[in-house]
Amino acid sequence: MFDPARIETRPDWMREFAQAPATLLFDRFVRVYFSCRPGADANGQYISRAAYVDLNRANLMEVVGLSAEPVMPLGGLGAFDEFGTYPTSVIREGDTIRAYYGGWTRCSSVPFDVAIGYAISRDQGVTFEKQGTGPVFGAGLHEPFVISGPKIRKFGDYYFLWYIAGSKWIPAEGRAEPVYRIRMATSADGLNWTRHGRELIPTRLEADECQASPDVIFANGQYHMFFCYRYSLGYRGRDKGYRIGYASSTDLVSWTRDDAKAGIEVSGEGWDSEMISYPHVFELDGQTYMFYLGNGVGRHGFGLAQLDGVLA
Amino acid sequence: MKWTKRGLLFKPQDYALPNGCTDFAQSPQALVFEDFVRIYFSTRSRDAGGQFVSHIMFVDVDKSLRTVLGISPLPVMSQGGLGCFDEHGIFPIHVVRHDGVIRAYTCGWSRRMSVPVETAIGLAVSHDDGLTFDRVGPGPVMGPTPHEPFLVGDPFVVVRGVWHMWYIFGTSWMDSPSEPGPARVYKIAHATSADGVAWQRDGLTIVPDALGTDECQALPTVFECEGAWHMYFCYRQATDFRTNRQRGYRLGYAWSHDLSTWTRDDAMAGIDVSAAGWDAEMLCYPHVFWCDGQAYLLYNGNAFGRDGFGVAVLER
Repeated sequence: MFDPARIETRPDWMREFAQAPATLLFDRFVRVYFSCRPGADANGQYISRAAYVDLNRANLMEVVGLSAEPVMPLGGLGAFDEFGTYPTSVIREGDTIRAYYGGWTRCSSVPFDVAIGYAISRDQGVTFEKQGTGPVFGAGLHEPFVISGPKIRKFGDYYFLWYIAGSKWIPAEGRAEPVYRIRMATSADGLNWTRHGRELIPTRLEADECQASPDVIFANGQYHMFFCYRYSLGYRGRDKGYRIGYASSTDLVSWTRDDAKAGIEVSGEGWDSEMISYPHVFELDGQTYMFYLGNGVGRHGFGLAQLDGVLA
Repeated sequence: MKWTKRGLLFKPQDYALPNGCTDFAQSPQALVFEDFVRIYFSTRSRDAGGQFVSHIMFVDVDKSLRTVLGISPLPVMSQGGLGCFDEHGIFPIHVVRHDGVIRAYTCGWSRRMSVPVETAIGLAVSHDDGLTFDRVGPGPVMGPTPHEPFLVGDPFVVVRGVWHMWYIFGTSWMDSPSEPGPARVYKIAHATSADGVAWQRDGLTIVPDALGTDECQALPTVFECEGAWHMYFCYRQATDFRTNRQRGYRLGYAWSHDLSTWTRDDAMAGIDVSAAGWDAEMLCYPHVFWCDGQAYLLYNGNAFGRDGFGVAVLER
């Protein structure tokens, strides 16, 4: 559906990748935030930047706009978000738009750490101003590192933040690999968060299953979560790579996992034949859609699927 | 305030420390028992890459603080796990008795790529009179916030119904030609808590700068004396502070009547560098405590405590 590499006039900082799509609806278009990357540096390391693409609301396959600059700057020297913005989740709050984003820093014994930052847009989501230079939600006593993958929602009077938290680093050949699972926090103001304090979704593949992109939508009397999951190691190919899972809940606390109801699998061939990941589900004009990533976790952009049936 | 120096109390090179540690006994912190005083400190080993890792040990001294009775057989805490906030050392530790156990608030260090280090505050508990401490969790109890963005550390806790913590947070990292890597600036702040676990913070600093905005303030210690609260801390220039005597750590002083508003008055600190010897170039990492009706000040001298810590006695 969208691959920045197909846009010849794209800026250098949008050279490749379009990861973790998240939508914001406007009257005439759908703004899809994603994270992209300039080329790797001399050490093969990447920095993710947050951008958006605008799609024609009447035809989501038609691109009608593209962010000219990253929607927010990188953090300064020593800040938690010095080396990347990935992913970004947005929500309207009156005339402003709030963004929660994963900020990346680089470590010595492990490759990176992530904490969640908070920014506000007063220009309809074109640019975001960070609310402080530190994270709004980072490591805690029982969630020691890799606090990432924020998805912000509001149900009733409360904000809900679904995110992932690392539980261990596995020393692996070449570099350590983190294990992370889906968690939740709640807040009345979006700034002071109460951690729910446990992993929400049981593992299925192995004890060290990694879960990401906990995307929650309310429909037909219950909450539906689409997420992605994979093996902790050897996940860069088809066999152990990301798949999209599903869970449902009536109280937002207890979730019943049933991946068979995800309703989407890898294709027999093509851009999403090895893995599918980072689902984002949204309703638009009577239809339910999913944006998701394919092979290489978004190296070649994201795709679109339409729900055939109802969320139940 | 007037402090009379007694000189070095503990010189690590005179003892066989565990873990192959030889130099450094930094940031002494006292825990008073019925018949002795346990003083925790950070010492250092080198890892496989030749980099320092700080460990917490203790020395027991008699209650007049003149005689060493013994040293810890092992570090009191294990090293932090891979990727954890305290993987590369704990410096300093601060201990407080509460509800029959001893709590330790730790300052954990982990190494970064663009800057040398990040720190956060951890929580551990001892059920054996402070011989060993177990982490309450693998992560920090107090890390960065939007307005306290990095380098949260140096906890000092007082419980008066409400839990008070004085600590530091970083305000900037800057490239500096005189330093091997980026230089950091950090300031003293205050948090409160109902349980010592969930802390309220406001992102404000509480001690005015004496050396300008790039002054580094560290290791607050707070005690009560004659109807007022008193704080000692150390402060220095942000750069060229390691070997330049004029720019290195000195002890600062502030007082308060409400634990919230502090008046800085370094001229009243009542202690300064000596003309010669182990504390002639810098004074740092102060810790004040009461023992048998006498207030003592433990502190480090030259080279951030490489040759141990000394003791001074409050004259009243």
